[in-house]
Amino acid sequence: MTSGRSRLVIPALAGALVLALLLATAAGSVPLPFPGVVGALLERLGLPGDASALGATGETILFTVRLPRVLLAALVGGGLAVVGAVLQAVFRNPLADSGLLGVGAGAALGAVLAVHLGLASAVFFALPLAAFAGALGAVLAVYFIAGTSGRASLHGLLLTGIAVSALAGALTSVLLVATEEFRVKTVLFWLAGGLDGRGWTHVQAAALFVLSGVALLVLLGRPIDVLSLGEQEAASLGLPVRATRLSLLGLAALVAGASTAVAGSVPFVGLMAPHALRPVVGPLSRRLLPAAFLGGATLVVLADLGTRTLSARFELPLGALTACVGAPYFLLALRANEGRG
Amino acid sequence: MSARAVLLSAHALAVDRGRRRVLSDVSVELLAGEALAVVGPNAAGKSTLVRALAGLLEPVAGELRLCGRPLADWPSDARARVLALATSEEEGPDALSVGERVALGRYPHRGPFQPLDETDHAAVARALEQTGIAPLAERRLGTLSAGERQLATLARGLAQEPRVLLLDEPAAHLDIGHQLQLFRTLDDVRRSGVGVLAVVHDLARAAQWADRMLLVADGRVTAEGAPGDVLCSEAAERAFGVRIRSHALPSLAHPHYSFEELS
Repeated sequence: MTSGRSRLVIPALAGALVLALLLATAAGSVPLPFPGVVGALLERLGLPGDASALGATGETILFTVRLPRVLLAALVGGGLAVVGAVLQAVFRNPLADSGLLGVGAGAALGAVLAVHLGLASAVFFALPLAAFAGALGAVLAVYFIAGTSGRASLHGLLLTGIAVSALAGALTSVLLVATEEFRVKTVLFWLAGGLDGRGWTHVQAAALFVLSGVALLVLLGRPIDVLSLGEQEAASLGLPVRATRLSLLGLAALVAGASTAVAGSVPFVGLMAPHALRPVVGPLSRRLLPAAFLGGATLVVLADLGTRTLSARFELPLGALTACVGAPYFLLALRANEGRG
Repeated sequence: MSARAVLLSAHALAVDRGRRRVLSDVSVELLAGEALAVVGPNAAGKSTLVRALAGLLEPVAGELRLCGRPLADWPSDARARVLALATSEEEGPDALSVGERVALGRYPHRGPFQPLDETDHAAVARALEQTGIAPLAERRLGTLSAGERQLATLARGLAQEPRVLLLDEPAAHLDIGHQLQLFRTLDDVRRSGVGVLAVVHDLARAAQWADRMLLVADGRVTAEGAPGDVLCSEAAERAFGVRIRSHALPSLAHPHYSFEELS
């Protein structure tokens, strides 16, 4: 039932992502020649290619600085967009995203705690791990607090998410005030969201959770679609509603938690990518989720490129950039949504 | 009504919503090929009865059986292959197309992973045809009228190819043309042997369509039987606070009903 034109959307999005990835690896404070970048990448992949145009320094920049950063941007953007699309179906609200579950606030609390205790500077990778733990902790708290009030209704989940986020935010503020000043800056940089200085370890950690989480969510596409019809209809179609919802929220939390842990807060991606693509590929998850992954990945790769190139004096925070684009988009989407209802 | 099979039965059913007893001591049977209308004043417990019969609410007392087997013993997917529920509350996401929505009715047959095959597509096409919304198959739900959305919900139920069809106010948002079409569809469905139980608000329409009528008032069944008898009973007068009279007119196939407020 899909028209020929909409079949081309996913290949087109994949092409756009590849172009964005190449552009973002070539551009930066030290521009690398485009043919050299392509040649070096082909050579690394064992294909006929020539890296000589790049030079030894260029090759080092490409493989130890640019490439991991750009791939991480793609993973984070793709992951957040898929999570957004899934939560929008589960909560039956086209404007839902991972913030509703307390992912961002929980991750921030975990990160600040790691910095406050001095772990972040003492132990490699402690900050992202703590942020990940914080994100999962917040989601679990939301789910189980909402669950004790009876049957974890959508309404209860939303309100509990707001309360848990507010509490985590308050604790974060208290910890920030109580943290020595020279450490606060580390946290602030992380909170603003960014990919500066991220290496292959971050890519591997993020890839593990994001790619496996996204693959499982795509596989669960049909149950997601049935759940998007609402609790009653899903139950009458024989879907085990609570178990399905719990596994979907768990996977969403893993993906969003891992993304937030490595990149800090990157708001609005989960909202923009699915929202823009739903009218094109339709709301069925088997098509929307892959499209959202590609679209979100492209968006964040380009946004990260912007943070590196828009200002010559300093790097802009990635989260601030996506928010500057996303907030107006969100407001416009909200108006269109109200105009229709 | 000879020896037709009992598809769905409730015996001495009691259901709570929160801490409130909404249904008590309700017994009902639905036979194969039967059209059973459930009527009653607002907040009488009709919607709760339909959801309990669909296995979506846990009764606190009584017994529910589907095809002779206790309803609670049915695995949820097997139950959904035999019993379908369509209510006016269900609308589906705006961006979904009518065809996609109806195709989700095949979920109990195909489960989470199996792709839909020819029989599924045929069932979907038949359901769209029966409800008269085949021309709308490509349209997004968000662009439909409330009535068309409701027909899409019914089509989803028919695509399940159930033996029992439970409906809550299937004609709630329909104009008169669509209402007549809906009840004609339901007639076709039951003639194929499906037991259809519907909560219907419009008493005259309910009487015209149903073989049998169940009056629910204040969480109990207060009258049951042929539609004319139930509507003209004292129980109906008490339940609605209205005097109902039937008038047989030679020019009409069905009796005409008049309603007067009790002074």
